[in-house]
Order: sequence, then structure tokens, then C-alpha cells
Amino acid sequence: MNTKTFLTLLFATFAVVVAGEAKPLSYVDGTMVMQENDETGHTISLDYTFTPTEAFGLYIKQEENGKDIFMLTPELNTLLKRWNLPDGQGNIFNMSGAGVANYRGNNQPALWTAFLADYESRRLFFSYEPRFVWDGNIEKSVWQRARIGIAPYLANYNDLNTWIMFQVDHHPAKHDHFVATPLIRFFYKTYLFEVGYSSNQHIMVNWTMQF
Amino acid sequence: MRYILILIIGFGFCTAAVADTIKAKVNGMVCGFCATGIEKTFKAQPEVKTVNVDLQKKLVTIQTKEGQTIDDAKLKKLIGNAGYSVVAVAREK
Repeated sequence: MNTKTFLTLLFATFAVVVAGEAKPLSYVDGTMVMQENDETGHTISLDYTFTPTEAFGLYIKQEENGKDIFMLTPELNTLLKRWNLPDGQGNIFNMSGAGVANYRGNNQPALWTAFLADYESRRLFFSYEPRFVWDGNIEKSVWQRARIGIAPYLANYNDLNTWIMFQVDHHPAKHDHFVATPLIRFFYKTYLFEVGYSSNQHIMVNWTMQF
Repeated sequence: MRYILILIIGFGFCTAAVADTIKAKVNGMVCGFCATGIEKTFKAQPEVKTVNVDLQKKLVTIQTKEGQTIDDAKLKKLIGNAGYSVVAVAREK
């Protein structure tokens, strides 16, 4: 079994077990698993929050809808700024990783960094994320993602929370440069689940667990 | 003199046996993930008996074990480490 096959199997195993588009930090000593399956590919990350502003973990992505690049990197997620407001919270995060990318047997060093700015109240949600990726001689790309959401009802901690959201992606390295995805988000306590359908006809399924 | 001494000791025992109910008004709490972080942080404290988070009222209610308490500085630090800001604290015996 070669390295790529092993890593693909490892990824697939994780993908079956775990699943989100949520904040990249939990609470001190908290562990978070996030998985995204959308028109850009499949992503899984496993992070441990070790200070109130930092989490360290592993990021794995199998890209689709363009070059099928496989990327594996350790990642560091940092809360750069937080605004705790009476009716909401605003954040700016940085997520960065350095590791390896593989495309058709060509292994290259991989570096990526992303900034996530969000604002969330119990009723409204906004986020914007630019992402910069360098995969050696395989690809260099810039991605952007923006989201808005509204909660149709105000749920408390022990209730099922529901959000209706709309996401727009801009990724010039993919076949479809602009993609819009309406989606619905559910979360209950520490479990988050999202399902959507994109304008380029891909099903989105994301999920996050904290423990 | 003996009566006064017994009274003081008795009063001391009564005081020691009382638990605190602490109500902290917190900014920034908007979701279940926020609540879980606060819950887990306080449940890990030896002084804490129960913790309840009310997102609607933006209130964290902590009941301490008998004879124990959490002072304001520690309360603010714990909630701050969970990622949120305390704006007011009320205490009941």
C-alpha cells in the first residue's frame, strides 16, 4: 500500500466517523472535529484548543472540481480579535497550515493561510473567509467564501437550533469560479450539521462535533 | 462568656454550611457551543455543584458546594478563558 492510498483510506475512515463551517476554536481543553463535503472536495480537521485563543490540529483535504489535489498539513488556528457584545459576538481568526500536497504522484510542499471574520447573534450570521493556498509547482490559488444566515426562531441551549443560510464561493482555480449554495444548518448542544445544494449541482454535507 | 463562644462557633458552622448561588450576566453568548464551553469549564472546578446557561437571559447560574465559593476574579477569569465577558455578578446565599 503506497502512502497516498494509506492516507486516502485514513481520510475515508475519518470521513465516515465524523463532520462544518463553524468557528475553528472550541474551549480550553476542548477537541473539535469538522468535516466538509462540498463542490470543492472533502475536508476534515481535528483540533485541540490549548489556550483561549489557540488551537492546534490536523487538516486533510481531497480537492475536486479542478485538479484533484490531496493535502495533509498540521494547522494552527488563532483567535486574533473577539468582540463580546450584548446581543452577539464578532471574531477574526487566522488558520494556517504547512505540510504536503500530492497531485498524480507529485509530492510538493504545501502552505495555506486563511482569515475568517464573522458576526453572530441568536438571529443573524455573517462570515467572510479569504484563503491563500500554495502547493509548490502544483497550484497557487486564492479562494473566497461569504455566508449569511438567519434563524427562523430563537432557540435556547437545550433546543434544536435551525439556521437558513446562503453561501457564495469564489475560487478561480476550480472549473466553476462562482458557486452559490443555499443550505440549512441544525445544531444541538455540541453537534452541528449542515446540508445544502450548490448552483453547480453538488450536495453539501458538513458537520462538526465538540467534545 | 461560654454562651457567646458557643454562639460564635455555631454561627461559624452555619456560615460554612451555606452554598453560594452566583448569577453572572455574560456578553457574547449566542450559541450552544458557547454554552458548552462555559458548562465544561465550571464543571471542572471543585467548588462547583451545578451550572446552568440561559442564552435568552444571557445568564450563567452557578451553585457552589456547601461552604465553598468562587470569587469575582476567578469567575471572570474562567468565563474569559471560555471566550466571553462578564458584565455583572449577583450572589445569593
